Amino acid sequence: MTNLIKSEMKKIFHKKSFYIVTIIFVLYAILTNVIYKSIDDFSINDPEVTIEELEKENSRLDLNVKENLDKYVTNLSNIEIKKMEDTYKNGEYLINKYVFPLVYQANLLEYMEKDLEESNIVRTKIDEYLNKIKDNDWKYFASMRMSELKNISNEDKDEKTDIYIKLTEYRIKNNIPYDEDNYLNNALIDVENNLSEYYNLKNKKTSKEEQERLDYLKEEMLVNKYILEHQKDIKNNESLKGVLSNFASEFGLFILIYVIMLSGSIVSEEYNKGTIKNLLTKPFKRRTILTSKLLTVLILMPIIILIMVLIEIIVGGLILGFDSLNIPILIYNSSTSLLEVYNVFKYLILSLISNIPIYLVLGIICFMLSTITASTSAAITITFLFYLMSNVISNLALVYNLKIFKYFVALHWDFSYLLESTPNPYHFTPSFSLIIIGIYLIVILALTYIFFDKKDVKNI
Amino acid sequence: MSILKVENLSKKIGKKEILRDVNFEVNAGDILAFIGPNGAGKTTTIKCILGLQKLTSGKITINGYDIKKDFVKAILKVGSIVEAPEAYMYLSGYDNLLLDKNYYKNIKEEEIMRVVKLVGLENRIYDKVSKYSLGMRQRLGIARSLLNNPNLLILDEPTNGLDPEGIKDLRELMIKLAHDGIGIVISSHNLSELENFCNKVCIISQGRVLSLKSIDDLKKIDQAKYLVRVDDVKKIKKYLTKEDKIVNDTLIEVIKDEQEIASFIKELAVTDALIYEVKREDLTLEEAFINIAGGKKID
Repeated sequence: MTNLIKSEMKKIFHKKSFYIVTIIFVLYAILTNVIYKSIDDFSINDPEVTIEELEKENSRLDLNVKENLDKYVTNLSNIEIKKMEDTYKNGEYLINKYVFPLVYQANLLEYMEKDLEESNIVRTKIDEYLNKIKDNDWKYFASMRMSELKNISNEDKDEKTDIYIKLTEYRIKNNIPYDEDNYLNNALIDVENNLSEYYNLKNKKTSKEEQERLDYLKEEMLVNKYILEHQKDIKNNESLKGVLSNFASEFGLFILIYVIMLSGSIVSEEYNKGTIKNLLTKPFKRRTILTSKLLTVLILMPIIILIMVLIEIIVGGLILGFDSLNIPILIYNSSTSLLEVYNVFKYLILSLISNIPIYLVLGIICFMLSTITASTSAAITITFLFYLMSNVISNLALVYNLKIFKYFVALHWDFSYLLESTPNPYHFTPSFSLIIIGIYLIVILALTYIFFDKKDVKNI
Repeated sequence: MSILKVENLSKKIGKKEILRDVNFEVNAGDILAFIGPNGAGKTTTIKCILGLQKLTSGKITINGYDIKKDFVKAILKVGSIVEAPEAYMYLSGYDNLLLDKNYYKNIKEEEIMRVVKLVGLENRIYDKVSKYSLGMRQRLGIARSLLNNPNLLILDEPTNGLDPEGIKDLRELMIKLAHDGIGIVISSHNLSELENFCNKVCIISQGRVLSLKSIDDLKKIDQAKYLVRVDDVKKIKKYLTKEDKIVNDTLIEVIKDEQEIASFIKELAVTDALIYEVKREDLTLEEAFINIAGGKKID
């Protein structure tokens, strides 16, 4: 048997097609990693109104109408802010948070109240802030925020203010400027922005939608807390870690191509080339020969996946750098409201294992078709069509809650929900799914063996 | 010693009867010419022997093992080429042999070069099979079939694609192997190539064995060709049958066994024709075959 398997391996590793697909995979991996590197460039910004548009709108407004005056002031303030943002590139957050209210106030005073004096006082304050932003003196704003919070807390002590204080203390202690390229800053700001919504939702009876939102906020809170506590750039997916955590979805098709290519040709090609006659006149039972071919596919499957992972680590490491590999992957478990922390490789292995049943079932189906039809192209085509159809059927079954597909294998073969700590979309238990998959595999293999054992090698 | 025994072999595919009651035996040292027109059932018989097709009924034993019950033991000492010498085109000839070697226990790698030398493929054995000519692939196929030191060799049309030199080499190799005690079955439609070195002939047509004889018997006994010279063929014309051939005005050619020729002469003797000469000639294998197969020419 070992010799048989060795021979099968030798045949496969001498085939050109195997190497061609591998070369294509390397190219595909390079492209995928390049895309990950430039996710930022690809992200679509919300179309913003330009300064010109605002100015145009303002010139058309009849300022004698009161509502129009309001609009005019808002537009004017926006124009000013936009100009400031353009001047002070990395001060966007501070400008919006601290300068914008003042600008609005100043314009209000100038155009609505016609109180130029007051307005100018405000303007001095604006200039002071802008100078601080220009000098990159973020600590000025941090300590300002701090004294603000202290005042609030002296009057009325509550949990939320405590957290704000802690966040600001953290910023000062760890020297974190208001810089949107700094992931710690982003985590601090995220928490600040979400905190009041979170407390609102937490302390009331929630509708289903609100509950979903609350779950999301909880997850965000926990992730940001983890980022701040461990100082790890968890959310950055423009990294090797990002690619590896999505390995199954990015490269799953290639795994499928390899598996189907192998299992679809390993029997039928012997028939096509006539070499089956050499093989079947060797001193082995037919089922031994079939088993050796089956085992070859089963052994090669994890080896190929491993090779793909290695290729991706090398390619991705060269393009995106290797340093992200020590950053863990966080999975939020909504039933326990806890974060699960995974090492990148552990997560990768678990996610691949959770997908193995897909490749296994499709591989065995292809193997059966390859044996029964003795046609490589038929085996590969039918298996691919089956895969596409089963995706459609799974979606239909999910959307319309169809019970007739309860025993359809494609509803069972994806176990990634276990890793993501989400409930099974069809409400099946893992053991039920495993039993269904087991039955499919046994039936398919039994058919294959019976057929192969009885099959006459036809005359040409 | 009987190496291969085919008993009452029948094969049906659907309702169509491909083989019916095929019987023959191959002993050590035999070279059996397995002959028949296309579609007669030669390849099917060979495939049944090799376990590539299932028997509908009957029994095949190789070296005492029933191929239905003891396939692995039965096939162990068999070498074969069926239909065409297939090989993995993307591997070298040597790698193909290496693959085959690994299917057997106790065959050393040196054996590979031994069989390569036997078929005279030493110079090209490390080339990819895709670069081989049909004749070279035929040689490689013969090398493969000899790799496991078989005592039964089954070659289906092995002369296809071989040049005259190759056929001569093959003939010498077969004679040598038979001399060493191997039983050989060679199917072919090229009778003249086999005539010179086979010692048994099995003629098959429409799934039935028409004749199974040693080559000498086939040529000698029963029927022979008789040339009869008379003064005028017209005088004896009414005694001739369709199969008899009129060569010219004074000469006819008939194929009859000894009994038939005796009564034929008796009949002629009472006519007014003058019989000058009756000459007996042995049939060539081709003529014997055509006669047995009911006058059908082999294609």
